[in-house]
Amino acid sequence: MRPILQIISLLALIALTLPSIIFLTGRLELNMVKWIMLLATVVWFVAATPWMWKDNGADRQDAG
Amino acid sequence: MDTEQQSQQTQAGSEFEREPVPKSALLGFKSFIGMYAGEHCAGTELMLGPLFVASGVSAFDLVMGLVVGNALAVLSWMFLCAPIATRTRLTLYYLLEKICGRKLVTLYNLANGVMFCFLAGAMVTVSATAVGVWFNFKMPGLNDLYPNSIGWVVAVAVIGGLIAIVAAYGYQTIAKFANVASPWMVLVFLVFGFVGLGQFIEATGTEISSLGDVWGLAKTQIWKGGAPLAGQVKFTFWHITFFAWFCNMAMHIGMSDLSVFRFARKSWYAVASSAGMYVGHFMAWISASILYAYQLHQDSSNIDVLPGPLAFRAAGLVGLLCVIIAGWTTANPTIYRAGLAFQALAPKSSRFKVTLITGAIATVAGMFPAIAMKLLGFVALYGLILMPMGAVIFVDFWLLRKFGLQSYYAELSGKTFNWAAGLAWFVTLATAWVLVRFAGVQIFFVSLPGWFVAALLYIVLSKFYQKKLRPVVAE
Repeated sequence: MRPILQIISLLALIALTLPSIIFLTGRLELNMVKWIMLLATVVWFVAATPWMWKDNGADRQDAG
Repeated sequence: MDTEQQSQQTQAGSEFEREPVPKSALLGFKSFIGMYAGEHCAGTELMLGPLFVASGVSAFDLVMGLVVGNALAVLSWMFLCAPIATRTRLTLYYLLEKICGRKLVTLYNLANGVMFCFLAGAMVTVSATAVGVWFNFKMPGLNDLYPNSIGWVVAVAVIGGLIAIVAAYGYQTIAKFANVASPWMVLVFLVFGFVGLGQFIEATGTEISSLGDVWGLAKTQIWKGGAPLAGQVKFTFWHITFFAWFCNMAMHIGMSDLSVFRFARKSWYAVASSAGMYVGHFMAWISASILYAYQLHQDSSNIDVLPGPLAFRAAGLVGLLCVIIAGWTTANPTIYRAGLAFQALAPKSSRFKVTLITGAIATVAGMFPAIAMKLLGFVALYGLILMPMGAVIFVDFWLLRKFGLQSYYAELSGKTFNWAAGLAWFVTLATAWVLVRFAGVQIFFVSLPGWFVAALLYIVLSKFYQKKLRPVVAE
């Protein structure tokens, strides 16, 4: 199950980023980019949470 | 150790607090890459990028300043912080206690806690700007110092209150969530940049056929240079370089990350900090600044630096989520840490109550937009205040014995307040204040001479102080 979730998570990240690159080239409307990003975000959190839910490495501290 | 203490140690991620990290607990290079890459994409990046534009920075100054400044920050981690961390394998606090004594460390904790509190306040401010997009209340402008609407006060109170309650109950859940959100958040920041650039290309009708065309657009439309907006300091290459270098000064030159790199097998692992610098303090700052430059391009009278609306225009709901999550996941541990720092002043007080009170202070601070809107200056001040102790540690570890003096003087002499270290700290800050107030040196540049002042003072003062009070054990 874990490898499948990892592949889905990776695809979600690609789906999150790729539309904005296509928008940059002028071949996609911004509204469509936003919708795809929203869908990719939902998929990411659903797929990534089961295998990334751990507390090490997430102690976020930044001044800037 | 009671359950409360155990819980505190686990939550703070601070095992081996009073002993060197054993070989079996050392971590590999990859752990540090992941840690730094996620850590430096905070909500405040969405304030800093736009503030550079408001400061009238040019494209060359911004890009080259960030390249050089971030490289200097990485080198500071590699050659100042990590070598001491991997040799002592102690936390900053334990090392400071050996050098400065328990009472001086408590004072350091207080200073650290206060700065953390205000920093968390700025993070709450950032998150609240996302709420403003939903509820459409009046939000603060670039030069506002005080809250300017009831809606704003309520939004900050609700967000800050929630963050404080979660932090008080223990921040592990948010830390775990931050772990999941981190890669997503970094890419949303990248998307901000792509979308902003795409919007500029569309709005200006620029034909892009090479990287040279992108650079031309950047120079003439995005980071045009020239005069800063009213109330802002003009930023040049040197401002950007020093800001990028000293923005995390408390962590590298100030040695706060001794606590991180004591787990590194080799000191060169500190090069992993470049993942944080060039993701968070290069890509994210540039992306955020493009969004603000586009806002000015569309309406030059709209100078408000509000991460919520900026992110919403670029990425819709995902942008808003990113602003809230980026602010929340960084404010939460910051409030928790500030609470721990304050609790050290009164160890018998309840951690729950102290964290709640700390969160309340951060929330009130967050209602005042002055901190977020003047974040460039505040971040420089934060580094400056904690920097002298980094100089003291550096000198104590590498130089003091070469001058015939004792390292770890407080531990050897049983002193609870090493006056040589304390005075080095206070006099350095006083010198910096005089330079800024009367000599016209801007706060962004004062930390560099300040480090040398602190180092020199610590050596000279130790010469007198240790002569007068020879440590019992060393004799």
